[in-house]
Amino acid sequence: MKRTLLRLLAVALPMAMTAWAHHSFTMFDTSKSITIVGTVTEFQWTNPHSYIEIDVPDESGAVKHWSIEMGSPSILQQSGWKFSSLKKGDKTTLVINPLKTGLAGGFLNTATLPDGKVLGNGPGRGPQK
Amino acid sequence: MKAILCAVLAGASLLPAQSTKTPDFTGVWGTFTAGRGGGGDPRLNPPPAGQLVLKPEYAKPYEARRAAEAEANKRGEQLATAGAQCIPYGVPTMMSVAVYPVEVIQTAKQMTVISEAFSEVRRIYLDRPQAPVEDVAPGYYGRSVGKWEGDTLVVDTIGIKTSVNGYRGMPHSDKMRITERFKLVTPDVMHDQITIDDPVVLEKPMVYTLAYRRLPNYEMVEFVCDNNREYVDEKGVVRMKVKEK
Repeated sequence: MKRTLLRLLAVALPMAMTAWAHHSFTMFDTSKSITIVGTVTEFQWTNPHSYIEIDVPDESGAVKHWSIEMGSPSILQQSGWKFSSLKKGDKTTLVINPLKTGLAGGFLNTATLPDGKVLGNGPGRGPQK
Repeated sequence: MKAILCAVLAGASLLPAQSTKTPDFTGVWGTFTAGRGGGGDPRLNPPPAGQLVLKPEYAKPYEARRAAEAEANKRGEQLATAGAQCIPYGVPTMMSVAVYPVEVIQTAKQMTVISEAFSEVRRIYLDRPQAPVEDVAPGYYGRSVGKWEGDTLVVDTIGIKTSVNGYRGMPHSDKMRITERFKLVTPDVMHDQITIDDPVVLEKPMVYTLAYRRLPNYEMVEFVCDNNREYVDEKGVVRMKVKEK
């Protein structure tokens, strides 16, 4: 048993030399991508994550509010984001991985800015600058 | 005569900080990722990490926690971690957090390391001896002193408080001693070999090496964790706050 344990630790460790920045992405359903189109109510250029707060109307006109998590400013700037990339009132289209809980939140894959530019969510997460 | 003069000058700290033998680590350093899309020379990759061998009484709870984390992960949940609550990583984990760079500022008397993630700062004194462990208040960064061995800066750290786990929740005692060997393997690639020795918790010292590449024009980004919308629920699971109307 002890030997098995030691073997397990030895295998697990090389993966663990680098710490998570903040948290894992387990809470998001990465097998599912959904597209939401709406109006930005707030763009939070903050740590440990940035967020897009967005009102999304459905076909009947009813508005649902979504909170979309992004990387940190340091990560985002590597794929072309700036603190001023979005502002209140901007119309945008977001592709996201939704929360597994079903609450109106998710993790950004790509955002189409008002000028048509498509940005990802940091290196290796969508289109690069 | 010359040797005596050199010894006197060295003793009086009049020699320049960087002689031809002591490298200058000053600069911003990112993760070196040769062979994984990083484009660097794979021969500069660090050697594989050694084995983590905990004493049985520490291995059992450690493995139980790891198993619980894996189970939670299968359910689509993450168990609470210090990082998710914006608690700093401390030494040595802060030396490698995701893809965030570290900035090194080196003078004759001190090497300062600033990690972009969480803006953590550690100070390594180069001009004084280590203190007895009982005189160092336990903290996230402990007390670090360094001395040159040829082209390698050997850094000794003690005084990391026991609540500050190593990566993946590795436990330690107040007897933990960390030895790092900083070296430029090329002018633009730095290795930090980290040896964690803890006679209470570990069967043998744990050794791993981190590799960095110079980022010549990088400007460090501010990182103040003032908008942490992740919280830990009553079951110890990390959740994200949403602003549903």
